[in-house]
Amino acid sequence: MPLAFAALCPIWGMWRRKACFPWSLLGVAITSFLVWSLIGKVNASKVVAYNVSGWRPPWGIQIRIDYMGLLMACLITGVGLMLLIYSWRYIVSEIKEERIPYYYTLYLLIFTAMLGFSITSDLFNFFVFMEIFSITSYALVAISGERMALRAAFKYLLMGAISSLTVLFAIAFLYSATGSLNMLDISSRLKSTAYLPVASVALILFIAAFAVKSALFPVHVWLPDAHSIAPSPVSALLSALVIKMGVLGIFRILFTVYGHSFSGLSSTWNSIAGVVAWAAALSIILGSVMAIIQRDLKIMIAYSSVSQIGYILLGITLISTRGMAGGLYNIVAHAMGKACLFLVAGIFIYKHGLRRIENLRGIGRTMPVTAGAFALAALSIVGVPPSAGFVAKWYILWGCFQEGQYAFVIVVLLGSLLSAVYCFRVVYYMFFTGAGRPGVGLDEAPFTMLAPTAILSVGTLFFGIFATLLLPSLNNAARVLLLK
Amino acid sequence: MRKAAVLGALLIIGAMLLFAIGKMPAMNSRNAPDKTHVIPRYLEKGEEEGGAKNIVTGVILNYRGYDTMGEVTVIFSALCAVVALLDREKRGLSRSSPDASGVRSSVIVRTVVRFAFPVIVFFAVAYMMLHGEGSPGGGFQGGAILGASVIVFTLAFGLPESTRRMPLKVRIPLESTAIVGFLAMGIIGLAYGVNFLTYLLPGVHGAMAQTVRNLMMTVIEVGIGIGGGVIFISIVFAMMREDKYELQPDVPQP
Repeated sequence: MPLAFAALCPIWGMWRRKACFPWSLLGVAITSFLVWSLIGKVNASKVVAYNVSGWRPPWGIQIRIDYMGLLMACLITGVGLMLLIYSWRYIVSEIKEERIPYYYTLYLLIFTAMLGFSITSDLFNFFVFMEIFSITSYALVAISGERMALRAAFKYLLMGAISSLTVLFAIAFLYSATGSLNMLDISSRLKSTAYLPVASVALILFIAAFAVKSALFPVHVWLPDAHSIAPSPVSALLSALVIKMGVLGIFRILFTVYGHSFSGLSSTWNSIAGVVAWAAALSIILGSVMAIIQRDLKIMIAYSSVSQIGYILLGITLISTRGMAGGLYNIVAHAMGKACLFLVAGIFIYKHGLRRIENLRGIGRTMPVTAGAFALAALSIVGVPPSAGFVAKWYILWGCFQEGQYAFVIVVLLGSLLSAVYCFRVVYYMFFTGAGRPGVGLDEAPFTMLAPTAILSVGTLFFGIFATLLLPSLNNAARVLLLK
Repeated sequence: MRKAAVLGALLIIGAMLLFAIGKMPAMNSRNAPDKTHVIPRYLEKGEEEGGAKNIVTGVILNYRGYDTMGEVTVIFSALCAVVALLDREKRGLSRSSPDASGVRSSVIVRTVVRFAFPVIVFFAVAYMMLHGEGSPGGGFQGGAILGASVIVFTLAFGLPESTRRMPLKVRIPLESTAIVGFLAMGIIGLAYGVNFLTYLLPGVHGAMAQTVRNLMMTVIEVGIGIGGGVIFISIVFAMMREDKYELQPDVPQP
């Protein structure tokens, strides 16, 4: 029987529209505290479940916090809290004053929706939360009201709306084939369903739709525009968390709803996982190449997200425990590293209005902490030991060897090499070129902007050195998922 | 070339969807999975368990109340998105292009709207929202009608007039009534020690339980209705106003 569990409900209560900074900070902080208090109550085989309205699953909606959900929830609350603190000073410089309350309202809505998305176990509820975070993210991209921002948001809206609609179609197909909306119930009923073709088409639609949301290679075109034009904390939010929701969607569909051992569906399932893996491999290479040829710092970071999402999905679809653990670890590493990179880019824009990489010459001398944070996070993105990115990539490589996929070994190594090129180019400009301007002392950003950036970059290092905090449980989770 | 590729992709997707529809269980079959799994319980026990004579209301407010709360939040997010991009109107000063053209709507239209307006509002509140749990209707429909009535009023009397009658100070708190209604009722359940959004409170029995449940559902319905309606009104106001026609504060009204 599900454990009655009430602590989560204040999450939904927190984002009432009294939208100013301290209020939203309070809401996010209380929510984070509640989510973190769940750590330890959940492990690979134990879940916390809560029936909303008191109806048992096939009839009512169940919130079910499994290991994956808790991992995502902790990440969302941790990174979300940092980004909110950063926004306080930054957002004033980029958007109109009367829009600021709506910025915070949208921020809290997207925060709530992502949390709800990662812990629900009901497919339609999944869709509802997906809609909320999609709508709010379109608005957040466009909130500065500049021409380019509106164009980028519109592009994002077109692709995102089609993908949301596709998810709705897929849910309808699945409902007609199984008569249920609860993920676990669907999963057990699919084993004996007479409507396999319908379920296969639904699977294809789901994966295609979530590939758009997570910006996998052929459908990534919205990402560089949207992520580079948005205000920097929003870019960080989108890159670190919102595209992970697409990954989580693929993950939930592949492993929670459909399993890879269903008799009737296994061939479709395997070929789809193969297609996703190859698309991910292409994302890794092409994302890195595109990042190398960019001159704008934020567009470069955005393309780097495409390649990092490739790593995550490649790890997940390798169908080996090591690969999956690596993919999940890269979710953590990338969320912190990429958020940090975007925040640093934001600090450069806030202080000096600098967007182009060539203009960053010698900035490491006047803003050592900022540039140092960038360098640390870049190390993690490239995957240099002892950073978190290294652990993730090591496990993905290990997974490739486990499965004998040597083509992917080359892709992973080449991707790391290419990302080293684009990251270290920036680091080189910041520290090793341009004589220090005489008479200019330290000129750092305000503390509330600097602290979150520094914490995130140290986080990548922390999770690299103390990888044993997470890895055993990730390995267990991967093993449980793959045996199902 | 590009058009041909797009057409080809669309044909493939269309063929796939049609194939899946062809394989779906027949629409009117009694044995289709969607008619044999959860639906029977909703239909057979919905009235006594769900507490609403209208089964649809029972499902959306009780069995799947959490989803409905999400839907309400979607509408609220849409409002925030519109307002964040287009900004709020200025009370009594914002005008749309028809307002600025100087042509007033005819006396017949204005008179009819003046008579019809209260009737429409009464219909929305009394028949749709308050009766949602017993007969067809409900908060969403009532809200749509409420919003439409104000849109009709705005079309007949102009944006400055209707923004003066419904100032932001009143509308902003009302916009979140839908979500607040859900949260309040959910928290009442929590205070009684049952799960979020449970309407059957322990310690309340018999006819009293039924009354309490109906009351809670009605509060939510009215919340959805007023919140939804006001959100529609605000979205329309934000979309109708045009900066170039805005009046200056000291210029007298035409």
